[in-house]
Parts: sequence; C-alpha cells; structure tokens
Amino acid sequence: MGELTTAVHDPDSADSADSADEVVFDLAVMSTRHVNAALRALPAGARAQVVNPAGRHNLAVGLSRAIRVRIAGPAGYYVGGLGAAADVDVDGPAGWGVGENLMSGTVRVRGAASQSAAASAHGGLVVVEGDASLRAGISLKGGRLAVAGDVGRYCAFLAQAGTILVGGDAGEALGDSLYEAVIYVAGRVRGLGTDARVEDLTDADVAAVRALAADAGFDHVDPQNVTRVASARSLYHFDTAQHAAY
Amino acid sequence: MSRYEMMSRYEMMSRYEMMSRYEMMSRDDAIDGSPVHHTFGPPVIAGIRERAELGRYPIRGWGARRAVPDFDDLLLLTASASRYPLEGYRERCDTRTVLGARRAARPVVLDIPITIAGMSFGSLSANAKEALGRAASQVGTSTTTGDGGMTPEERSASRTLVYQCLPSRYGFNPVDLRAADAVEIVLGQGAKPGGGGMLLGQKVGARVAGMRTLPEGVDQRSASRHPDWTGPDDLKIKIEEIREATDWQVPVYVKIGATRVDHDVRLAVAAGADVVVVDGMQGGTGATQDAFIEHTGIPTLAAVRLAADALADLGLTGDVGLIISGGVRTGADVAKALALGADAVSLGVAPLIALGCNAPTYRLPAAGEPAGAGAGIEVDVSAEYTALGTAPGHCTHCHTGACPVGITTQDDALAARLDPALGARRVANYLRALAMETTMLARACGKSDVHRLEPEDLVALTVEAAAMARVPLAGTDWIPGR
Amino acid sequence: MCGIAGLHLKDHALRERLGSMVTGMLRGVAERGPDSAGVAIHDPGGLRVRKDVGDPLAFADRIDLAGQTGLRALAHTRMATESAVTAAHCHPFVAGTAPAADGSPAPPGGMPLDGTELCLVHNGSFANHATIRRRLAAAGVTTETDNDSEVAARYLAARLGAGDDLAAALRRLTATFDGFFTLAVTTADSFAVVRDPIGCKPAIIAETDQWVAMVSEYRALLGLPGLADATVFEPEPEEVYLWAS
Ligand SMILES: Cc1cc2nc3c(=O)[nH]c(=O)nc-3n(C[C@H](O)[C@H](O)[C@H](O)COP(=O)(O)O)c2cc1C
Ligand code: SF4
Repeated sequence: MGELTTAVHDPDSADSADSADEVVFDLAVMSTRHVNAALRALPAGARAQVVNPAGRHNLAVGLSRAIRVRIAGPAGYYVGGLGAAADVDVDGPAGWGVGENLMSGTVRVRGAASQSAAASAHGGLVVVEGDASLRAGISLKGGRLAVAGDVGRYCAFLAQAGTILVGGDAGEALGDSLYEAVIYVAGRVRGLGTDARVEDLTDADVAAVRALAADAGFDHVDPQNVTRVASARSLYHFDTAQHAAY
Repeated sequence: MSRYEMMSRYEMMSRYEMMSRYEMMSRDDAIDGSPVHHTFGPPVIAGIRERAELGRYPIRGWGARRAVPDFDDLLLLTASASRYPLEGYRERCDTRTVLGARRAARPVVLDIPITIAGMSFGSLSANAKEALGRAASQVGTSTTTGDGGMTPEERSASRTLVYQCLPSRYGFNPVDLRAADAVEIVLGQGAKPGGGGMLLGQKVGARVAGMRTLPEGVDQRSASRHPDWTGPDDLKIKIEEIREATDWQVPVYVKIGATRVDHDVRLAVAAGADVVVVDGMQGGTGATQDAFIEHTGIPTLAAVRLAADALADLGLTGDVGLIISGGVRTGADVAKALALGADAVSLGVAPLIALGCNAPTYRLPAAGEPAGAGAGIEVDVSAEYTALGTAPGHCTHCHTGACPVGITTQDDALAARLDPALGARRVANYLRALAMETTMLARACGKSDVHRLEPEDLVALTVEAAAMARVPLAGTDWIPGR
Repeated sequence: MCGIAGLHLKDHALRERLGSMVTGMLRGVAERGPDSAGVAIHDPGGLRVRKDVGDPLAFADRIDLAGQTGLRALAHTRMATESAVTAAHCHPFVAGTAPAADGSPAPPGGMPLDGTELCLVHNGSFANHATIRRRLAAAGVTTETDNDSEVAARYLAARLGAGDDLAAALRRLTATFDGFFTLAVTTADSFAVVRDPIGCKPAIIAETDQWVAMVSEYRALLGLPGLADATVFEPEPEEVYLWAS
C-alpha cells in the first residue's frame, strides 16, 4: 500500500490555526474515503480533527498508528472499528458497532452508542459516556468496554474474553451464552441470559473495576459495589439436558 | 460416561447411515425374506435409537448424502457438423479468471476457474491448510481461510488467499485483513444455511482455542448472525467498512448458502458484493447437524442457474463474479457450472479426498527423501476407520477430530500423517487434471475460453434437471416450465 | 430492508414546516434504500400518499415534498428483499380500518383515501407473513401485493376494525409475526413505533415538546429544529411507543 508522505487536508477548512500541530479534515467538503486515507497516512503522535461528520458511517476505521482523532459531532456505524493503537474521540453519539473488532487503543463516545458497541473487540478500550443500546459487547474477545449509563438487552451475548463495566443498569438477558468475559454492573441487572450467573466479588474484581473506571474516567462507580456476572459454563459441552438452552 | 465413550457409541450407530435408504431397500438381505421396511428401515431405526440414547441430534462432516439432481444429470453438446471443435493440447483455450474488477484496485486474477473453498484451521489441521495453500499456489488459484482466522503457514503458502469474515469473527483482525487478497463475508453455507459454526471440543486444542479466544476443549457453537449488522441495508455499510479498512484494494465476496437464491444474490449485489459465492445443499462441512445437511437448501444445480439469471437480470453478468460450490468433483462438473453461468467454482471435500481423505492408507516420504521423490512409506489405517465405526470410502467423521489420515484433526500425532509437500503435490495434480478436463470439454464445444461455455451447450438427462437448470431435456426442445 | 422515518407534530404551528422536516429525514435514510421511496402525510384536509421507484431524492423533488403541509408523516426508502421493485410494492402501505357494512373485519384500503386509513412503514423482513396473509384472506381481508410489509398493515387495520386500539393491535402483532421489524405506524390521530423482540433493525426516537421523530439512523435527525434539546433514545424491543394528538 502506498503511503502518503504529507497529510492531506482541505485548506478551506483551516480552523487548524488554533492548534498548530492538529490537522483538520472537513467532511462537508471531503469524502469519507479521502478522510480515512489521510488519517491512515498520519505518523504516530499526530493529532487530527474531523469536522462536520454529520452521522456518517465508517469514520476513522482501520487506523493502525498511535494517532489521536477527534470526531467533532455525531458518527454513524463502525466509528473507530478495526482499529489499533489510535485514540478516537467522538464528540456526539455513535451508531452501530462503535469500536467493533478493536485491537488496541481507545474509542470514546461522548454521548450514546447504538447497538453492538465494541462488538468482537480483541483489545483496547471502548468508552461510552452515555447509554449503550442492544448487544453491547457482543462476541467480545478480550477488549474492555465501559459504559457510563445503561446498557440494553443482550449485553455481552456470546462474549468470549475481556471486561465490561456498566455504570448504570443492565437490560434483560445480560451475558447470554457467555464464555470467559466478565461483566460488572453498578446499577440494577434486569435479567440474566442463559448460562450467566452472579458471582461473588473478589479483591481482583475490585481492582479490575477500579482500573477500568479510572481509565474510562468514571467517578460515579464504586468498585466495591458492583455485581459480577460471569459464565456458569454449563453450555461449554454438549449435554442432553440442556436442549432448551440451545 | 466420558464424551469419548459417547462419541464412539454414536459413531458405531451412524454406520447404518452410510448406506442410503434406497441402497438398503435394494438389498435383498432381509432376514425372513420380507422386504426392508421403507418408512422405518434399518438406518431410520438406528437414527431413532441413537437419538433415544443420546438425547441429541447426530452431527457429522461432509455434505448431503442423499441423491439430488446434479451436474451428472446434464450433458454437453460438443461439436460435430454444425459446430467445429478446437484441437486438444494445440489450440488455445483460456482458463484465466478475473474476479472483483468492478471496484477493487487489485482484483483477484486466477490461472484456472477452480478455487479452494473456505475451510477453517480447526476443522482442518495446520498441515492440511498448508498443503491446500501450496497446491493452490502451484496451479495459480486461490485458497480461503475459514471460521478460525488465518495461520501464518497458510498465508505464506498461498499466493492468493481469501479471508473470511464470519458471524463468529474468530481470529478476525485488521492485520490479517490487510494481508488478504480478497475478503469473503460469509452469510451462510450450503450444508447449513441459517445455522452457525460448530467445532467439537476434541478439536479445540491449545492453538485453535488461542486463535479463537475460546477455552480449550469447549464444544464450540457459534452465532448464525453477524454481531454488528443484520440485513442487506446494514451489510452495505459493513462492506464499506471492510473496503475502508483495506483501502479499497481487494474485492469483497459475499458467500450465501443456497436457499432463496434469486433474492439473496440480488441483495448481496445491492449491498455491494464484487463476487457472490453460492454454496449448494451438497456443500461440505467440517461438523454440522445431520438434519441441516440433508434437509436444508437447494441443490447446486438449481442454485447456479438462479444466481446466474439474477445477475443477468441486473445486467451485471461478468461485472459481479459468481462462484459456485457444493459437490463439484470433476472437470465435467466445472465445465457444466461455467456453462450455466458461474465464473469459477469452489471445492471443499474433493481436495480433501485428493489429500488422502477416505484412503485406507496414509503416505509419508521416507526418511531423508524429498516429498514425491520416491515411493515413501505407506501405512494402512483401515483399523482406525473401523474403530470410528466406519470404513475407508464411507467416512464422514471429520467432526470427531480422529481423522485416520491426519486431515481433519488437531491431534499432533494424527496431523503428522499428512506431509504438506506430498499433500500439496496430490492436490495440485488433481486441480490440474480438473482444469485439463474442463478445457478439453470446452474445446470440444468449440470454445477458445472456458468462460465462453453457455447454457445452450447443455441438455438434461432428467426432467428434474431440465427444470432446475432450465436447459432442454435431451432429444427435445422442452424446458419444463417454459 | 430499508430506511424509515416518521414524524409526529405535537405543536401544530409547525404544520407548514412538516414537508421540509420530512425531506431532511428522507435524505438521511436515502442510502439505506436506493430502489424506491414513498411518503404518507396526514393533514387535517386528509391523507396524501405518494410513492415511486427510483432515487429517493429525485422523488422528493418530483413531488415537492418540502412544500407539503401536515401534522404527521411517514417516509420510506426501499432496498427490495423478496418482492418486486414497483410503485405498488413501495411503502408506506395503506389499509382501511373502518369495519365493512356487512360486519367483516376490514375492507382492503384501496384509493381514494378518506383520511381514516392506517399507514405503515417497515424495516426488516417477516418470516411467517404467508400464513398470516392466508388467515387474513380467509377472514375476507385481501392484499394487493406480495409484499410482506403490506400484510402487517392489513393485519393492524383488521385489528383496529375489530375493536383493538392501536397499542393493543401492535402488541398482538409482535406476538403473531416472526422476523425482524422496526415498524412506524400512523393513523388519523396517532403515531406509533414497535420493534421485534430481538431488535435486529435499527431505530432511534427523538422527542421534544414540539415533535417526535423516529428514524433508522441518527443522521436522519440532523436538521430537525430543536434537536439539541431533544430526548434521544432507542426504543426497547417489543415495547409499543405511541403518541396521539
Ligand atoms: C472440513 C470443512 C470445513 C469447512 N469450513 C468452512 C468454513 O470455515 N467456512 C465456510 O464458509 N465454509 C466452510 N466449509 C464449506 C466450504 O467452504 C464449501 O462451501 C463446501 O465445502 C463446498 O462444497 P464441497 O465440499 O462439496 O466442494 C467447510 C467445508 C469442509 C468440508
Ligand atoms: S478421512 Fe478424515 S477428512 Fe476424510 S471424512 Fe474421514 S475424518 Fe473426514
């Protein structure tokens, strides 16, 4: 793949004057494809701002260098998806699959996240400062998800590894068909999914929650006072008695 | 009772199922001279007993056992007086195949229209994956990852590697994504359209478990819907994400199990697919419930025509590629699939057989001898098939992980029975032979390019095949339903 | 498989602006459904339904959507799934709700419209609509197309004709229909939203003192007056959300 040596940006949208080292890309005049290519071309350490996102999909996907990107407004589906090393900050709500398949780095949503936040994320941290709707943390594979508000139904469905912290309440069917991922809920749990169970909180759990809350910047979560939900592991092996669970 | 004990009892019972009902009926070995019961024949009795004992459904490998209309029910109208053949070996007949040129900067370019289908590392051993990759590279075609991610052996062995994006997303990551030559978003498989993936615990060894982020030894059953989209309107956004993450370099395939093929092909195209892969009901699997394998989807023969017609109706023939799979075995199958409108075919079980699947013996190069240089050593493993409750030529026990010839296993000792270089040579030979058969038949039809075969080069042997493929019944101009 | 949008004005002073508000919403969901588009607009003067194949934005221009007045509207853009791309297959689907003179539950909602009809837009696809279509037909309720969404419209209208209120009819629908659906429904005085139990298709609701809007994607809300102060949320699966004027 060819690398652009200079950052592409639109001179007409140059409110980059207020911070000399920040590149600004304006989606009102540039295509998503162009902006993403430019973001991927930035060297590690660079900072960029994407203005006028207007809920567009697939912003800042597939980043692989340690850059910081601020999306100045609402983002659509998959913002920050398939990313590594970068820090993506969405100043507004985000659509489906925010930070999906994240490998490392951070995706922060300063608003609500729609369905499947952090779906299948292998690493890194996805922070949602508002609520996250259905299936947050679905198929999680080692990443961390922190939601300040509530999560909708089916949170952590089939989640395999990683940690989810819910600062508010969790909707029905929490942790359905869970593997080894662990969920901590500060508020109320409306209902557990198949094979999910509440377990005692250990010191290691408290430390994990404290660290995750600190990384997420949550000060409303008391690490001593969360509910730990993990897999009962009764679906790990084929068992004739479990038919209804399949 | 341990899982393994359970397994072997189950395997023994499914031995009855090796014979089709019709086969059983035609055998006059009934004890008291009365005919075998049609509705409750021996395989049915065995199946009921098995379910009664285990309280669950049978699971197995490979595709549908039952006979369905297939490419054998079609014949090619090669040249004579009205059309002139091309000379075999001397006159040119192209097999070059380009897929995904519509949007991708780097379309997939293959020397032959015969590809290796997605089979996971996990269902297959690492050696088997490597052998398939090497073989595909030797003959200039592509191979495909599977439900479990990409192994480095596979990437380095494969010149053209298609990377699958499945509902489970096991092992899916942006680095491998960008290392791929095409991306295949899997909506379903012909063996189990609408069903999720399955890998029984005995195959979820340390490496497989690590790649899939699963606890070692779990009976893995994965999702049937993708975690972050449902339906073509959202798939369209997902495809765009994949394009963005790969810089619009490589084609995006969409693979569907053949059910409502006309609609599904149209929707895959509307969602932005560069290539549609349609897997018919005979399509193989590493492990699936028997009820799925035998009772869902439509035959490949019907699927190929529906898919080709959908693309033609959209005016996208040639622009959107069509790959057909499910029961392709011979060059004749390939030629007929191309004539019905496929741009390429994809093979699963057949290359496994070329590797040695269902052979009574396995072969390894003798110590110090390069692969294929000499006779090597040959070891009879018939007894191991028997221990599984089957026999060479009848085995579909891939799900057990106890593959006697080291192909569908994660057991190191068994896997060592397959030498990647020797295996690659056999699969490459097989693919070359298929390509030669295809060009031979195309030349005989007067075509200088295998892609110029057309439905009018075909007739059907049966009314069913004529109706499904929409070609005339042999000796008539009658296409049922027309 | 589509983009949908619905708008219900609480503040009737916005009546003149409804068309331009809906135009922006249609634009926001246009990419989800490039094959066809349609709108239904309830105005005190009656119900206007327009639909056509082709590009949704060109459609909006052609019918001067921005210039339309009304109190309640549905808009739809379609990526065809299992039925043909024709104007008849476009949403919104309209079904008459008044019980027939002979006492049969509800007649088909053919044109002309009298303003009492129910309108429906759907994102998703049903898995058992064929059986429900047959049951409706046996009860004398016929459909005009092979479209799965039309069955839902007829079903709801039949339930209303049989005496259910809209909320009860929608609850019954979620218990009766399999498949994936986000539905927005309007009648002469109500606006309702409901989703299937799994919640597989997107839906976002924004509400202010002046209006309530439902869209497939957030970007379709941008441009609505007062969005910054709106309450924005995603409707829970299976729950019926209803606003009546
Ligand atoms: C052992 C085995 C494993 C398979 N694994 C996958 C898989 O991971 N993903 C997939 O899309 N299809 C999988 N398939 C299906 C093949 O990709 C292909 O659709 C099918 O094998 C074609 O039919 P054929 O076997 O008759 O050639 C698998 C098939 C086999 C035999
Ligand atoms: S021999 Fe091996 S690969 Fe072949 S069917 Fe048996 S278990 Fe599967």
